[in-house]
Amino acid sequence: MKVSLENLRTYVEINVPAEELCDRMVMAGFEVEEAINTAETMENVVVGKILEITPHENSDHLVICQLDVGQGEPVQIVTGADNVFEGAYVPAALHNSKLPNGMNIKSGKLRGVVSNGMLCSGEELCITEDEYEGASVNGILILKGEPVPGTDMRDVLGLNDWIIDFKITANRPDCQSILGIAREIGVVLGTEFKPPVPTYKTVGDDINNYMKVEVKNYDLCPRYIGRFVKNLKIAPSPDWMKRALKASGMRPINNIVDITNFVMLETGQPLHAFDYRDIKGGQIIVRNATEGEKITTLDEKEHNLTTDMLVIADAENPSCLAGIMGGLNSEIKDDTTTLFLESAKFRRDSVRRTARALGVRTESSARYERGTDIMNTEYASNRALQLIYELGAGEIVDGVLDCNEGLPAERELSVSVTKINALLGLDIPADTMVGILNSLHIPTTLNGDTLNCRIPSFRDDIEYMADIAEEVMRIYGYDHIVGTPISGAVLRGTVTPERALEDKIKALLISNGLYEIATYSFIGSHSIDPLNLPKDDSRNNSIKILNPLGDEYSVMRTQLVTSMLTVVSTNMNRKNADARFFEISKRFIPKSLPMTGQPDELKTLSIGVYGENEDFYTLKGIVEQVMKLCCAEVKFERADEPYLHPGRAAKAVIGDKTVAVFGEIHPNTADKFDLTGRAYVAEIYLDMLSNTVSPLVIYSPLPKFPAVSRDLALLCDSEVPVGDLLDIIKKAGGKLLETASIFDIYEGAQIPEGKKSVAFSLTLRSADATLTDEQTQTVMNKVIKKLSEAGAELRR
Amino acid sequence: MQQKLEQIRQEAKAALAAAEDSKAVDELRVRYLGKKGEITAILKQMGSLSAEERPKMGQLANEVRADIESAIAVALSEMNKKALELRLKKETLDISIPGKQETVGSLHPLNNTLNKLIDIFKSMGFDVVDGPEIETDYYNFEALNVPQDHPARDMQDTFYLTENMLLRTQTSATQIRTMEKRKPPIRMICPGRVYRSDDVDATHSPVFHQVEGLVVDKGITMCDLKGTLETMAKEIYGSDTKVKFRPSFFPFTEPSVEVDVSCSECGGKGCRVCKGSGWIEILGAGMVHPKVLQGCGIDPEEYSGFAFGIGLDRLTTTRHKISDIRLLFENDLRFLKQF
Repeated sequence: MKVSLENLRTYVEINVPAEELCDRMVMAGFEVEEAINTAETMENVVVGKILEITPHENSDHLVICQLDVGQGEPVQIVTGADNVFEGAYVPAALHNSKLPNGMNIKSGKLRGVVSNGMLCSGEELCITEDEYEGASVNGILILKGEPVPGTDMRDVLGLNDWIIDFKITANRPDCQSILGIAREIGVVLGTEFKPPVPTYKTVGDDINNYMKVEVKNYDLCPRYIGRFVKNLKIAPSPDWMKRALKASGMRPINNIVDITNFVMLETGQPLHAFDYRDIKGGQIIVRNATEGEKITTLDEKEHNLTTDMLVIADAENPSCLAGIMGGLNSEIKDDTTTLFLESAKFRRDSVRRTARALGVRTESSARYERGTDIMNTEYASNRALQLIYELGAGEIVDGVLDCNEGLPAERELSVSVTKINALLGLDIPADTMVGILNSLHIPTTLNGDTLNCRIPSFRDDIEYMADIAEEVMRIYGYDHIVGTPISGAVLRGTVTPERALEDKIKALLISNGLYEIATYSFIGSHSIDPLNLPKDDSRNNSIKILNPLGDEYSVMRTQLVTSMLTVVSTNMNRKNADARFFEISKRFIPKSLPMTGQPDELKTLSIGVYGENEDFYTLKGIVEQVMKLCCAEVKFERADEPYLHPGRAAKAVIGDKTVAVFGEIHPNTADKFDLTGRAYVAEIYLDMLSNTVSPLVIYSPLPKFPAVSRDLALLCDSEVPVGDLLDIIKKAGGKLLETASIFDIYEGAQIPEGKKSVAFSLTLRSADATLTDEQTQTVMNKVIKKLSEAGAELRR
Repeated sequence: MQQKLEQIRQEAKAALAAAEDSKAVDELRVRYLGKKGEITAILKQMGSLSAEERPKMGQLANEVRADIESAIAVALSEMNKKALELRLKKETLDISIPGKQETVGSLHPLNNTLNKLIDIFKSMGFDVVDGPEIETDYYNFEALNVPQDHPARDMQDTFYLTENMLLRTQTSATQIRTMEKRKPPIRMICPGRVYRSDDVDATHSPVFHQVEGLVVDKGITMCDLKGTLETMAKEIYGSDTKVKFRPSFFPFTEPSVEVDVSCSECGGKGCRVCKGSGWIEILGAGMVHPKVLQGCGIDPEEYSGFAFGIGLDRLTTTRHKISDIRLLFENDLRFLKQF
């Protein structure tokens, strides 16, 4: 809500500088979005009287003016405008001046002739015809009357004001008005609040001779007040009103429209003036729109209405969207002579729904949506009539059409002083509370420990003790709140087992050189395409956002691979030579589409690595470590994932559950992500792992007897998985085999084509005695036999 | 003979002192103490001595032998010492060469800050809970005292998935889920992702992170709220940090406040970081609205509580003076490596 400080002074005494006012209002709950000192927008621009005009010898469109700017000596300024004349009073921006449009003016030469400034147009001074007659003329602004040369233009234009933009919170619709803000200022500064008291004279006659009002839906329109004015004199508004409108961001139109807008700004109550000629049957009917009904609003847009929308209709057609915008056919025109004035209360949710459905937002609808005060309708209509009367804009007809089903009774709220203090943790004296509440126009008396508060109709937001506590506190001052430790039982903070596991995994990954990344949870509707998934892959069934910011952020991801590849690509293309990344985030898997219930949000770990020293096995090593940390006994199998290299893709399985998929990115996918080299990506489904609790370790005694080491060099077909051979060794080795590991795999010279050499290192040990050569050999023979059966022969 | 023995003693000692290596010492040992050595040779002449002289000479010969033996031991030990010294000297390394180390990664700065918050709040007895990111209208709005068509809905632009389901705009939704499940005393924080339909720029992201806090118990006051937030702010921004409450409005708290901390850059004097105000807004908070407590089956006459919502992204960017929030989601390694 933008207000002019000078305008505010009409309603409340302001005895502090603007900056201090802003600070104190902030501490009372009214954030200041912006405070502009209009005087600072213009500097060193003065009234100049043109004494003499001479032609410019080097230009046929420039002329040289000698001006009296109140400095004794005339000042020479060159101008290109052709509307200047000797004796004219004009705005002169002197050397080192500043204009509201951001220009800084300095002396200089124009085609060789010295010009000590610039003569200004209305546009350059950022004023419109509404504010100053002649401002829109193409050329220099010719000032009215005979202002004294040298007078500061800010005084001529009234630029000595502050425009303060208060942010009004949703609970304070009453402060969407100058009077509401002035009332708060009065409380904050402890100064007198002076709301206008509407008085006017009527000319007799009777509104009932002209108009009938019928409200068919009191639920959506609890009160409708109609007034009548005849013999209108449509004219421009006075300057003070134009200025006030403009300060609050509204455009002046004519005296009647301006009065309705001004009163809305002043009181927060939207008003609407109808041209009586256009009210068919002299009848206003407040009703729901009928099926298929249409209206063309003031902005010349046609709207199709639905039956839940409230309209103000005449005997035939809707002429207004209730509380939102008037109809084009009934607006006030230059030749309007008679008007019907509406001041009504509409239900806020109804206005909000209709405004949203039709995509129309106005100053009026904004106020109705937040809520207006049913009692304010009468005051606002009287205030408008007062202004019409005072400005001589028309003759006010006797009689009020006030339709309502009874007005709400004043609410009383009784709250305990002790409880307020208990909630705040303070000891504010009861008298202080009473004083604050009364100053806030909440009439309050004290009865023992009880505050009896009469809640004014404009403070619908106050319902509970906590609301009263807030009112007291924001005026008493939040500086009084002093930090204390929470009282009560000593509690021990815990984290969920899932989070504890995630933290352990993160620590492990970091020690393995991985950096954590953070990516958006939504991706583009086609982001998943480069993975080349088959059409029926469930990962294509993503949850769509109905109102996304754009297609690139339009679906909730069902996998983390694409986000990881995007990050890998960014880094590769920025010449970060190698990197290891991870992210723990959610996959969003709908139970059905369209969604009927909340989807599964599955915690997933994604890993991406690339660089000179990275390969399938460095990634597998990381995956294995994670599995070990999660106490997951997994088996590795080849994976069939379209985005992975078919020969370098694996999955980790527990029973029939896949808990991880990883491998090298398929060249086709890599191309589409613009990868500049090989990349390796893993997706680990933590939701399937996180329930595995690490068992308590039971100590096993340290070996008392020495171990025996044996190496095995084998020759087998190239395709034989070495992991299988290792499994055979472990199985055949039995109890006495302590460890078995691969120490060399070799293909090439001295090895037959299609074969490979694999070397294992075995350690054997008995817990009970030193192994004899015989015992050792028995185990080794068994191992060799089983390997041979699997096609791996001892190399000789 | 006595003279001869004394001579051997002198010669041997001198020779040992001059010996250059253990081989030379060995040769000397053989020469003096060996079976064919000089002392043995002298002892062989013992027979020519008188019975009185013999034991005397024998004793002297043994003394000389012992003397030489100990000289040999000294010489050898000296030699070992020298050899060791020489080896150690040879093995001297250039300690200015950087050590060998495995590359260690790091947490994302957001989680780095989050972990710090979790530590702080856990130490004050807060449980860390999680909630769904896809929420129903009820938990995200209605139960938080924001009914349908309420103007407070304008405060947050919401991404909708269905008419009734949305991407949570605030972690506050978890307040309700927690209070439905648990009875007071409650102390919890809920860190998580939230979504609002804000266009991406240097200070806005449609995906960001909050840490919700909720305390419900008998006798919880607004001073407790301030005390809790002061503890947090001092841990995060330093022990001189001050906390200021400014009145504000949130539908689910009453009274509601915006919470500012004194600018750590300028100490409150006013600078570019705090835009001259000396304060940085970091969170919204307030006393849990009685309607919200009631809706969760907690009697507001008996219990009170406070809630707060920390903007994790803003906390992180102000802590590390990160000028553009987009850097957090770009994941350039050169950025990540700084944390």
